[in-house]
Amino acid sequence: MAESDTLGDLNRRNFLIKVTSVVGGAGAAAACLPFVASMNPSSDVLAKATTEVDLSAIPEEGVHTVAWQGKPVFIFHRTQQEIKDMAASNGGFDPEPDQERVKRPEWLVVVGICTHLGCVPNKEGPGWTCHCHGSQYDDSGRVVRGPAPHNLAVPPYRFIAADKMVIGEA
Amino acid sequence: MNNRIIKWIDQRFPLSSFVKHDLTEYPTPRNLSYWWNFGFLAGFVLVLQVVTGIFLAMHYKADITLSFDSIQHIMRDVNYGWLLRFMHATGASAFFLVIYIHMARTLYYGSYRAPRELMWWTGQGLLLMLMATAFMGYLLPWGQMSFWGATVITNLFRATPFIGDQVVVWLRGDYGVGDATLTRFFSLHYLLPFLIIGGVMVHLVALHTVKSSNPSGIDLADKDNIPFHPYFTSKDFYGLGIFLIVYCIFVFFLPNSLMEPANNIPANPMQTPTHIVPEWYFLPFYAILRSVPNLVGGVVAMGLSVIVFSFMPYLDRSRIPGGARYRPWYRVTFCLFVVDMLVLGYVGYVPPTDLSIVLGKIATFFYFALFVLLPFISKKEEQWLIRRGLPAEVQALVASEAKEKIKSPHQRRSGDIK
Amino acid sequence: MKKLIVILVLCCISFAAGAAESKLENIQVETNVQAVERGADALMNTCHSCHSLKYITYRELVKFGMDKKKVEDWRGDQPLDAALTSQLSDETAIQSYGKVPPDLSLMTKAREGGPNYVYSYLIGYYITPEGMTSNHVFPETKMPDMMGMSGATDPAQRAEIQAKARDIVSFLNWAADPHEEERHKLGYYVIGYLLVLTVLLFFVKNQIWSRLK
Repeated sequence: MAESDTLGDLNRRNFLIKVTSVVGGAGAAAACLPFVASMNPSSDVLAKATTEVDLSAIPEEGVHTVAWQGKPVFIFHRTQQEIKDMAASNGGFDPEPDQERVKRPEWLVVVGICTHLGCVPNKEGPGWTCHCHGSQYDDSGRVVRGPAPHNLAVPPYRFIAADKMVIGEA
Repeated sequence: MNNRIIKWIDQRFPLSSFVKHDLTEYPTPRNLSYWWNFGFLAGFVLVLQVVTGIFLAMHYKADITLSFDSIQHIMRDVNYGWLLRFMHATGASAFFLVIYIHMARTLYYGSYRAPRELMWWTGQGLLLMLMATAFMGYLLPWGQMSFWGATVITNLFRATPFIGDQVVVWLRGDYGVGDATLTRFFSLHYLLPFLIIGGVMVHLVALHTVKSSNPSGIDLADKDNIPFHPYFTSKDFYGLGIFLIVYCIFVFFLPNSLMEPANNIPANPMQTPTHIVPEWYFLPFYAILRSVPNLVGGVVAMGLSVIVFSFMPYLDRSRIPGGARYRPWYRVTFCLFVVDMLVLGYVGYVPPTDLSIVLGKIATFFYFALFVLLPFISKKEEQWLIRRGLPAEVQALVASEAKEKIKSPHQRRSGDIK
Repeated sequence: MKKLIVILVLCCISFAAGAAESKLENIQVETNVQAVERGADALMNTCHSCHSLKYITYRELVKFGMDKKKVEDWRGDQPLDAALTSQLSDETAIQSYGKVPPDLSLMTKAREGGPNYVYSYLIGYYITPEGMTSNHVFPETKMPDMMGMSGATDPAQRAEIQAKARDIVSFLNWAADPHEEERHKLGYYVIGYLLVLTVLLFFVKNQIWSRLK
């Protein structure tokens, strides 16, 4: 067998093995995808990703707590005075104008989890107080006393009727 | 960079030497046929079952009020849950198909003979663990067939002398198959495959001590062995490709063909389905169980029908080396055995009729007769073959084996003509 | 070796096919959204008063592509995530019929013969010589003749009932295995890929073994 033939054969053989390895490797990688995907939330869990809330039952000055994706969400029906007070300032350590935190000023919707270490604050007088480490939030959910670093999170939500909203989709 | 890391490891762990000695350069007979692919395939299916099983276990609930619903949750809501479930169910059947072919290869080619008895016996142990795993796994969906199959089979332990009834209650954890049974079967079903993995390692250590047999049944000279890599790695992967095509046809297009319709009905302890049938891989043994009209007799016969394989190294008394290749009587016996297994499988499947009961009894008798007669058949065949004159290649191989035996006296071969 | 595999696969397929009862009518279930929706409509009107489908939610129906307005009609004031449970209580069922009507979520899988069985059963009602209503496929049934086949003499009427039964069975077939279409599609890709890979592996194996003297 001539030298050149052997080299040519060798190249062809290596190429074939390389191509097969790439094709096989791609298949093996693709085969992992369904296993990884199966660990993502299943369709029944995703269905619970949104929560409908009936607002007609919440009086003025009333705070209603609903569960959304396993977390408490405060729905606060604010009075005109409270709205005026909140509009007057930008909050404390995490400045943010009140109107950027609400869609309709009389409804404040915030996730009721303290941004410090995750406890659920209590509504006390104006705003909320977290009894784990003393953080305080105002009637717009903005942090006014630490150690919490951020304002209470505003979840995605929208109004689907005059007295109905859905939390979980904007 | 890679070589430096490997060198660092090699100074602390026999990585390269192990890979060289037992994988890449491992000497393998060059004439192995495709019937030798099935050991590798069995290992692959084992990994497949463990992986799909672990991901299924992330969603399955082992509680009689929840289990059937959790399977529907997996089939409908979990992303690709239907794929995991069908892969696992089809994988169980694939496992048994591969193992039965693997065993058939061992029987046909005489690979159970000295010095490979321990390979055969570790294999038997693995088969028993596999059967237990499959039986317990079948209860988990908590369908009608799951429940009643488990009821019937756990009832068999009543055959235990003196303490039979207590053994059954102890096994179940309750007077009937119930929540306690389901939970413990789930625990053990999760455990056993890891014991099987351990058993496979013992099986492979034994293999690497005696090395593979080959289709001629007579060990080849050293020069006729070739390195496992790349020859048999490439052959095994090719065989894997063929296997995966057949497997995926079932997973994607025929997944329900292996599932009894009655198992889509939640278990009802108050009502037995008209037709209780185990999965196909248990059918021959189920037929043997039913063929003996006595409870204890049936259980003993069924147990014996699995255990009897272990005696093969001693039942086969021929000194002609190897398996069926040079032994026409043994080949006929083997074929009759396979046909008998198929008949038993059919008898196990159909509802009992007068004809099927008689057929089952005949097939059961024949099953054990083949084993009992083997010592006589093998001896008579040996005498007949020697009288007829051994083919030249067998004589030559036997002579060279006898010569090598002098060189390495610690290696006993069954073809030892002294 | 390959012949063996082909024979094996063919045996398994013929075995699976032959398992169906010989006296059942063979029908082709339809898998498109329109037929399945027609079947859902017929089922909600004819069957849902007594039978539940606990593993199907209204949201599933919408996700499959059925008309949202129709689904709104069917669910009334139940939430989208509610399952298709019937209004018939167990006690009333036992009083009226002697047993609880079985859930239909898996019915086309839970009977030998699958969809053929359910179809043949629905159109299998007839009047016995004594004037009683009975069913060819399942004589012991406690279910009344909801489709009206036993009273249908006109061939046009019978054809209409058969079409309705076929739609219902198509819906039930979807309900038993909503991922069937997805599974088949993925199956074609996977088997196609495996064929290509196996051919490549075949050539690699031959290449490597050709080096042996």
